[in-house]
Amino acid sequence: MKASLTFRTLVLFTVLSLVSFLGHAQSLKTLQKLASKDSDGLAKLDIDIFMKHVVKENKAYSVVLQLTALSPNYKCGPCKAIDRTLRSVAHGWKKQADKGGRDIVFGSLDVEDAEELFQQMKIDNIPRIMIFPADKGPQALQNPSPREMGLNAQTSSPAGMAKKLGDLFGVQIQADMPTDYFKYLTNFVTAAAAIGAVFIVYRHVDLRMLGRNVWSIATILFVLLMTSGFMWNRINSPPYMGQTRSGDVILFAPTNSQQYAVETQIVAVTYAICSLCVVALVRHVPRIANTDQRNFVTFMFVAALVLTFSYLNSVFRMKIPAYPYKLLLP
Amino acid sequence: MAQKVLGLTAVDQTSLLRIAILGLISIVAVGSRLYSVIRFESVIHEFDPWFNYRTTRYLVDNGFDKFWNWFDETAWYPLGRVVGGTLYPGIMVTSATIYNALHALNIPVDIRNVCVFLAPMFSALTAIATYHLGKEVKNATAGLLAAAFVGVAPGYISRSVAGSYDNEGIAIFLLVFTFFLWLRSVRLGSALYGALTAISYFYMVSAWGGYVFIINLIPLHVFALLAMGRYSNRLYVAYSTFYVIGTLASMQIPFVGFQPTFTSEHMAALGTFGLIQLVAFANFVRTLIPSDQFRILIRGAILGLFVIGFGGLVVLTMSGVIAPWTGRFYSLWDTGYAKIHIPIIASVSEHQPTAWPNFFFDLNMLIWLLPAGIYFSFRELSDHHVFLILYSLFAAYFAGVMVRLILTLTPIVCVMAGIAVANVFEVYLDFRNTRASDNTANNATNAKSFVNPKSEKRVSNNTADSELISSSASAGEPKGGQQQVSFFEKPSFKSFYAALPKFVVIANLLYFLCMFQWHCSWITSSAYSSPSVVLASRSPDGSQHIIDDFREAYYWLRMNTKTDAKVLSWWDYGYQLAGMADRTTLVDNNTWNNTHIATVGKILASDEDTAYDLARRHDVDYILVIFGSLLGYAGDDINKFLWMIRIAQGVYPDGFKEEDFYNSSGEYAIGDTASPAMRNSLMHKLCYYRFAEMMGPRGFDRVRKQKLPSSVTLDNFEEAFTSENWMVRIYKVKDLDNLGRNHHTVSAFEGPRHTKNIMF
Repeated sequence: MKASLTFRTLVLFTVLSLVSFLGHAQSLKTLQKLASKDSDGLAKLDIDIFMKHVVKENKAYSVVLQLTALSPNYKCGPCKAIDRTLRSVAHGWKKQADKGGRDIVFGSLDVEDAEELFQQMKIDNIPRIMIFPADKGPQALQNPSPREMGLNAQTSSPAGMAKKLGDLFGVQIQADMPTDYFKYLTNFVTAAAAIGAVFIVYRHVDLRMLGRNVWSIATILFVLLMTSGFMWNRINSPPYMGQTRSGDVILFAPTNSQQYAVETQIVAVTYAICSLCVVALVRHVPRIANTDQRNFVTFMFVAALVLTFSYLNSVFRMKIPAYPYKLLLP
Repeated sequence: MAQKVLGLTAVDQTSLLRIAILGLISIVAVGSRLYSVIRFESVIHEFDPWFNYRTTRYLVDNGFDKFWNWFDETAWYPLGRVVGGTLYPGIMVTSATIYNALHALNIPVDIRNVCVFLAPMFSALTAIATYHLGKEVKNATAGLLAAAFVGVAPGYISRSVAGSYDNEGIAIFLLVFTFFLWLRSVRLGSALYGALTAISYFYMVSAWGGYVFIINLIPLHVFALLAMGRYSNRLYVAYSTFYVIGTLASMQIPFVGFQPTFTSEHMAALGTFGLIQLVAFANFVRTLIPSDQFRILIRGAILGLFVIGFGGLVVLTMSGVIAPWTGRFYSLWDTGYAKIHIPIIASVSEHQPTAWPNFFFDLNMLIWLLPAGIYFSFRELSDHHVFLILYSLFAAYFAGVMVRLILTLTPIVCVMAGIAVANVFEVYLDFRNTRASDNTANNATNAKSFVNPKSEKRVSNNTADSELISSSASAGEPKGGQQQVSFFEKPSFKSFYAALPKFVVIANLLYFLCMFQWHCSWITSSAYSSPSVVLASRSPDGSQHIIDDFREAYYWLRMNTKTDAKVLSWWDYGYQLAGMADRTTLVDNNTWNNTHIATVGKILASDEDTAYDLARRHDVDYILVIFGSLLGYAGDDINKFLWMIRIAQGVYPDGFKEEDFYNSSGEYAIGDTASPAMRNSLMHKLCYYRFAEMMGPRGFDRVRKQKLPSSVTLDNFEEAFTSENWMVRIYKVKDLDNLGRNHHTVSAFEGPRHTKNIMF
């Protein structure tokens, strides 16, 4: 009884795999055909093709897929960035002569084409890069289960992503950036403008008069940038601001160890206002001759200082809930 | 004005006050660093301090010569470590000197207490040095404020609480003191002070690798002054004396050796030294030839020298004569560098970039007083102020790149904030001329004296000024006094009205200062006063529960294992193992050999059989892991495990890969859904071995909030010790079987371990 059951399973399995093997060449072709429609070789999938050719078992080719929302009414900035990155990797792969005997298809699945799927799988954050490796045949990976590629500063760059994928599949992948003429143009214009500005300043402005103020402003700006966590942003490249599920904007990341880019800008401005109040109180207020005016301006600056510092304090309290001291604002 | 109080003149009164205030600041500085001793006990903290403590004990016991030539064969087994040549001896020599001096006076203090209280004592000295620095650049008010700030600023306290016996504890004092001496030697142009700067610098070199900051900042200051056309003979004398003596002295430290002559970090100082000689020579030539020809000469010379110098530097660096920047310094400039190339640097949390809450956490209101201080420095812009501005710029940049470098930013922020607050006080604490106010006739004089130009006016001058004003005011009074005036016109109200904003500003500022002090105390007590060797938790009723697993486990090792036993652990615990357990370690916090660390990582990440093979080949007797799942202690080895894998992978790329340790859905799981590589790794097995039995069927991991793996088998290693809260687990590497079987066969034959125990 038991033996026959095993036997039946075996037969079933063989038949199934035979069918799927015949289907395999067909599947790959379908995907490749889709890919060849796109100039970068990025196949645009929909839910049927995805279910039929990507998530199936026993396939001898690998699929690298982005889950994304590129339609403008989703306003997904990161999606576009990742799309660009994936496209340059896919384009490089398409152009590459030596593919090391690997069949890798790059694809894109937009939420508009697969809304039910996204809902079913409870995919609530995009963009994501999913990898469905080959699990059969000579190209099969040791661990062929589908996986997600973590997106960080490194893998979001074309070269980094290509390297990561190349390491995974054991093949050299060369990312290819499409030439960005607009960038060249802007760079050229910026450089020309800078040279022109330097020339004009050199001809018409007395640098000795200007010197100290310019230097002090530049120094203070630099120090403000640094002390408001700018380097952290450069290294960790956080999102510009957060969003709740309902789409509201969050300005401040709720934890102590994270920050959004916009929040560092706000903090830098509050530092600057506080500083400015102190400087004004010392340098400018005493010069006002009229007592009424002077008193009024003094009170204004003190009020501005207290309010700004209270704001800073309340933001800090939000970041570190255990912080016990507060000033005016909660 | 010239009234005598207690028979002291006004000048004596102020100096007495200053001394009293400085004394109080010192007491507060020391006092606020003692939370950890009061709450726990007088114990050495964390990791690196344990090495310093161990070496200090060695120095006290064996004398300086033996210490200098010490080869420690119990570290980095089997390589060993030349301790004398690879450390900064400053802190050990300081403690040993204090210890010997106290014993010479028949005060029998334990060396551990000297070590524990060294950093707080030096923080008092830092406050005094900061006072002098502030006084040098502005006045005594700014100095006192800066001293008060630096005494309690959490940015500095974080590295100098009692028990945190680390290089930074004395190095910040030396940093500030060196800068003070440097500024004074520039002001006076005195070779004596230049030499004193060099000696202080030498002490700094002997104490902390951060001396590189000094040897780059001072030349930069000199260079900036030269570029601004502020060459003076004072500068020449100060820098030449400092550079020559300082460099020669620094080369006496074996760990530094000949580095000042060939590494890039020191090239700026050498180049500036050459430059200032040339500028001095050019100044000399200028006195001899006509100015037109001199101009041509100087232009050609500058261009030629620049090309030769820069080209030479590039060629020498390319050809390898000048060593290129070392990895740690390189990562300061190219911030992405460490992340990609040196995982061991990136893995240390204090090498991460700084988010803004960290700045506010460590410096509070000082952080927004810094730009104001920079502005005031730019208004005056003497040689001193150029230095302060450069220091702020570079320290701010470095602090932005690495969290731990907030430490070097703190002193300058305190000085700048001192200057800013002192400026406010100067204007708003001066009530001398508010009596005469809203008289239109007086307005011009009034406003002028209010501004009080050129801050440091002599006292007599000022009194004369205000007398003049008050007399002119009283001259104007009788006119109004004749008629019946309304309340608002009365002189008493007018003077009150004119002084009111001053009260408001001062009250506001004083409240901010109080808040700053509260902030600092709270941060110190809640964030920086935990020894991390001993942990504390609070029960719901508020009573404290001490968790002492580390010392328990290390003491067990000390008492129950052979003295030459080799213990394998991740490098974080190397110094503690050597210090507390006194056993041989494979790797420790002196991360000089990346390969060796990667080997340890490989052992921990491999499967049981590979690991057993490797461990036996490295003579390992015991393996120690830190496991936080029972307590919810997040800094445990499972959380550090990814770094071990990354580091191992960097050296042994043909083994496992980081991705193998994530499960199919890309999570870093530890339970039954974990990836096979994770479940088979030695680290996973050592941590979770028999843990599920203890936690019962519904147990879960309290750090990672996941279900526990249902079965963990371990054949090649034997559980030797597990501490009270399961934080430290020690395993013995089994000997080879007497019958030549492998250990899997043996345990299959003998059955599970706990059933065997029941049978006996």
